[in-house]
Amino acid sequence: MLKTKTVGSGLLLLALAGAVGYSIGLGLDWTINGGIKLAGSVPSAFTLLFAVSAFFFGLYGYHGITRGLVWQVMGTFAGALFITLIRWLLVALNPSQFKGLVLFGPFLFSEPAWVFGALCGVISFIFGVGVMDDWMQWVRGLDTPEHHEDKPGWEKYFGVSLDHKVIGIQYTVTALALISIGGTFALIFRTELAHSGFQFLNPDPTKFNVFNQTGPQMYNTLMSLHGIIMIISILLGVSGIINYVVPLLVGAQDMAFPRLNAFAYWVAVPASVLLLMALVLGGFDTGWTGYPPLSSRAPMGMQMFFLGVFTAGWSSILGSLNVIATVLRLRAKGMTAMRMPIFVWAGIATSIIALTATQLIGLSFQLVMFQRLFGMGFFDPTKGGNPVLFQHLFWFYSHPAVYVFVLPGLGVISELLPVFVRKPLFGYRWIAMSSLGIALVGFTVWAHHMFTSGMNEYLRVPFMYSTMLVAVPTGVKFFSWVATIWGGKIETPTPMLFVLGAIVVFLLGGITGPPNAMVALDLHLHDTYWVVGHFHDTIFGGFVFPFFAAIYYWYPKAVGRRMNEFWGKVHFWMMTPSFLVLTLGMMYIGLRGMRRRIADYDPTQGFDNVHLVLTIAGFLIGISVAIFFVNFFVSMKKGELATGNLWNSRSPEWQVPSPMPAHNYEVPFEVVGEPYDYGLEGSKFVEFSANGKRDKHHVVETQTHH
Amino acid sequence: MEHKQDKSAMLGQGVFIFVYLAVLTLIEFGIALTFNSTVLLVAIALVKAALVLYYYMHIYKLNAEHEGEENSYEYKAGTNRIGLWLFLVSDSFVFGGLMVMRINLLGLAHPPLNQTLGLTVTAVLLISSFFMNRGETQLHNGDREGFLRNTMITLILGLGFLLGVVLIEWRTVPAIAEPILHFFGEAEGVEPLKPSSGAAGSAFFMMTGMHAFHVLSGLVLLLIIMKNAKRGLYDEKQYPVEAAAVYWHFVDVVWIFFYPALYLVGTIFK
Repeated sequence: MLKTKTVGSGLLLLALAGAVGYSIGLGLDWTINGGIKLAGSVPSAFTLLFAVSAFFFGLYGYHGITRGLVWQVMGTFAGALFITLIRWLLVALNPSQFKGLVLFGPFLFSEPAWVFGALCGVISFIFGVGVMDDWMQWVRGLDTPEHHEDKPGWEKYFGVSLDHKVIGIQYTVTALALISIGGTFALIFRTELAHSGFQFLNPDPTKFNVFNQTGPQMYNTLMSLHGIIMIISILLGVSGIINYVVPLLVGAQDMAFPRLNAFAYWVAVPASVLLLMALVLGGFDTGWTGYPPLSSRAPMGMQMFFLGVFTAGWSSILGSLNVIATVLRLRAKGMTAMRMPIFVWAGIATSIIALTATQLIGLSFQLVMFQRLFGMGFFDPTKGGNPVLFQHLFWFYSHPAVYVFVLPGLGVISELLPVFVRKPLFGYRWIAMSSLGIALVGFTVWAHHMFTSGMNEYLRVPFMYSTMLVAVPTGVKFFSWVATIWGGKIETPTPMLFVLGAIVVFLLGGITGPPNAMVALDLHLHDTYWVVGHFHDTIFGGFVFPFFAAIYYWYPKAVGRRMNEFWGKVHFWMMTPSFLVLTLGMMYIGLRGMRRRIADYDPTQGFDNVHLVLTIAGFLIGISVAIFFVNFFVSMKKGELATGNLWNSRSPEWQVPSPMPAHNYEVPFEVVGEPYDYGLEGSKFVEFSANGKRDKHHVVETQTHH
Repeated sequence: MEHKQDKSAMLGQGVFIFVYLAVLTLIEFGIALTFNSTVLLVAIALVKAALVLYYYMHIYKLNAEHEGEENSYEYKAGTNRIGLWLFLVSDSFVFGGLMVMRINLLGLAHPPLNQTLGLTVTAVLLISSFFMNRGETQLHNGDREGFLRNTMITLILGLGFLLGVVLIEWRTVPAIAEPILHFFGEAEGVEPLKPSSGAAGSAFFMMTGMHAFHVLSGLVLLLIIMKNAKRGLYDEKQYPVEAAAVYWHFVDVVWIFFYPALYLVGTIFK
């Protein structure tokens, strides 16, 4: 376990290095710009980079994540200096042609230098952290051991591990860290909104000037970053559950490509760093959608945002590739398609979307990036470009993305519900197919985000109908859940509370969706708080509640101890009502004309009181999640021991003692019955026997070189 | 004896498919010069892509049965094959997105480009695919020298394509590019396409740039398998060679669609 002393030395180094970084930054700021801003971008950037690397150094020493971060810092500066040098050479050799080429600016380097530097930083991180080591050996024609054994204890979580369970936990913890960052941003701007007029995010640059941004600019940056950081955290959370659970459910010993799995996780870490760099490098004011033409002339943080999302996208793509290959190739004996656990179906449906559509958000962001760097004219009407094209490319991913977020969550609901009502899951086949149905219909609905964007009007009606079609497979799921609960012997430990909460909240999110799909209504609702309320309902119901349910449910499997039941219930009963107040309040003022994405509103509209209530509700959610965090970390040491089949589940992972050993099942299992026949006499899902097709030391990794 | 016939049959098949592809490309070019039917261009591109997918990339191997024990090399190679093809599916969405961008911005018109140079680089890439297939088949037949020879030819042709696009067509170094373009029949005083010069320039540079990046990564893969083959690898376990070859052919398939889209379709974009 982590020692207090280790954490202490980490914090001490954090403070020291932060001070050093801050001084260097101030010095550079003074040298280049001839003036000092206490909260300027350069000092802040240096503070951040130095402090974070030093913290991990104190915590963990110079390997794994520390080395990755240090290499990222060095790579970023090397890349940026390289471009600056080339620009200097261009100016020196050919002054007439390259007159006015900027070498240094308020953010130290010029924009192209930062972009190239950030890219070099990501690549350096990947090599520094060590996730390329084995592949580089293969490139050199050398062999590597099929599997690297992890050291026991907490240290394996800070370095490259090939074990899908370790990677799943790495994903989950990173997701929780990002949730807390994104949530903090939300609380900051929620406080600003508590009352009309500017509270502390002041538009006057003499009163508020942090990271070269005035108050409202900072509001925009925080609002945009809240969006994207939460989205990345959800993607990581989804990967976390899928990575941990899917190989256990299908009876594999690891994912199909463990090295690719580790790569997919570690590439998300520098991506998160880039998103935080966006905050200090001038921020950006487009919201997470990044529409041009605004994004083609937003501050430089925009580029860091684009690169960060692009990099995180690779995590999602490669992770989902792995999931599909794993499920196709490594299922236990007897696990036919219609006997797969429902969560596996959800994982497949999610992965199909993430594998394909993610490329298009990457492409759309690249196009804007190049437009800014090279003056290309994709979305610039004066050069024959088309801004609406961006929205098509962008939403082709970003609408299906919400199904990437919610499908695993809905899978968790279907997976857990039968366990806690002790009844078979109603309509297994329909549920399995409805996940695929949502995924496939989800590809045809993207332009419903663009009813007011000026696209061709004849496109509106088909997209309206396809959008409403999504309600059909989603309705199938609700019907099945209600029918499963009906007449069951309901138990309500914490995971089940979150499952029930998810159903209620997702129902609210679901029924507020079709009104947005109607063109006539959407023209009124578009860009109001109604949409914000609807969106948060779907994502909390579809992801956040099930995510918490999954953590409470599978925590004992990973740790061997359970989370505290009392504090879990406090978490639930504090979060749910506050959350309902928050989103219903948002919808209420939205219907009455509250615009979204604005830092201030007119007091005569009479929204002050509602906004105050919303802010209080937001803080209550924050407190409840803080309780969850404390519970999460304290229970690792002090939680009640739970090594057996705690929830009395039929699922294979609960038939062996917790925590799960390194290569999963010592004895392979064979599927001999239906997965969810709870309460049926003599029914059996899995049978452990040495006749299963895998021997004990079988390792799944494919060696491509010999 | 029968086995030997089988071997030469595989090599012969590669030649036949190449002849089909070459003839189809010439027909394509002819259509563009004469009556310019977009429908026919799309149809020919689809036929060419199907030929490469089936005969050069062996897509049917995805469906192979009797792969042996789960722990065997064959089974693991099968898993890797699925992974590779999933990646290609994902990657083709990038190129699909670029195509959508191009159609949206330019419609049924193509950027003003040098047709002779376009046909030349296309031919070079197509021939490289032929040699890649030949090399892979020879390695399969146990002819390591033949494999190395043909892969080297592939590599040189790939490099030729890359330089043809990035150096000459992009006019990166005008001093080198201009005389060559002149040799290819470029008229004097033509305004060169630039990334910043408008929709046509943006679409052209983005599409060829993304494709060139893939060609470059394919070349790196070819270098790796050549180096390792010289070290004596791939006697039994030949999946890495198959993977590099499939990736190389994929780059070719992308160009099968990009070539008509950039050089042949419709009128010249104003």
